[in-house]
Amino acid sequence: MPRADVGAHGLQLPANAQELRRAREYADQAAASFGFDEAERFAFVFAVNEAVTNAIRHGTPDEAGTISLRVGADHDRLTLEVSDSGPFVTPAVEDEAMPDHGRGFALMAKLVDEVDVQVGPEGTTVRLGKRRHGVLNPTGAGHRG
Amino acid sequence: MGLFFIRVDSREDLDVIIVDGYVDFDAAPALKQAIAGRIDAGSRHLVIDLSAADFIDSTGIGVLVGALNRIQQASGSLAVVCTNENIRNVFEIVGLDQMLPLHRSRDDAISALARAA
Repeated sequence: MPRADVGAHGLQLPANAQELRRAREYADQAAASFGFDEAERFAFVFAVNEAVTNAIRHGTPDEAGTISLRVGADHDRLTLEVSDSGPFVTPAVEDEAMPDHGRGFALMAKLVDEVDVQVGPEGTTVRLGKRRHGVLNPTGAGHRG
Repeated sequence: MGLFFIRVDSREDLDVIIVDGYVDFDAAPALKQAIAGRIDAGSRHLVIDLSAADFIDSTGIGVLVGALNRIQQASGSLAVVCTNENIRNVFEIVGLDQMLPLHRSRDDAISALARAA
């Protein structure tokens, strides 16, 4: 059974729901090191958890049975990429019952500033980006003045 | 950030399901089973107390929505206790606060269900 591995290239996790805890810890450590406040950390970790859950539920692990997480940062934005070897599954956001998949994707979009899905021959990468002090207003209202 | 516990406090006319820890894709089936077990046993008024929950993801939210649907079909009622502001924000984003009552204490939730019963 593949084991979690944190290396220079990020974190490789077995595509297994029990590994979500490690994905959250990895994301939270990155968010704390980046200087996010408590609410920003929660939002970032939440979005990463959704992306990793999606990769576990709908993605395809690589030959080693793993999915990959990789953190990056620039001066005001923290990014985390979640990669698996499968095709991207379109969330059914139009479903009135709003199944978990569509709900999870909608939450990702609200909780971070950037959700970028790249689909290629090697699989799917979801990149989440969140700016420092870009605290979400849950009502969706923008800044005034 | 991974532990998860459920405890059921059965009372005369309602059940309180107390959730502690992280409700994710790994833990959500256990919560779903606990709720279904009480409904199948005849409980029609449920309080789900998330005061000690640190995290609940989209699959956990799906379990709450499913529980609401099941208990409404059985002419019962469901109330949720949530004191964590980050979790409340998530519930507001997906509109869960419009679907079921969110309370800030277990006593408030129990009182609300007693009034509704």
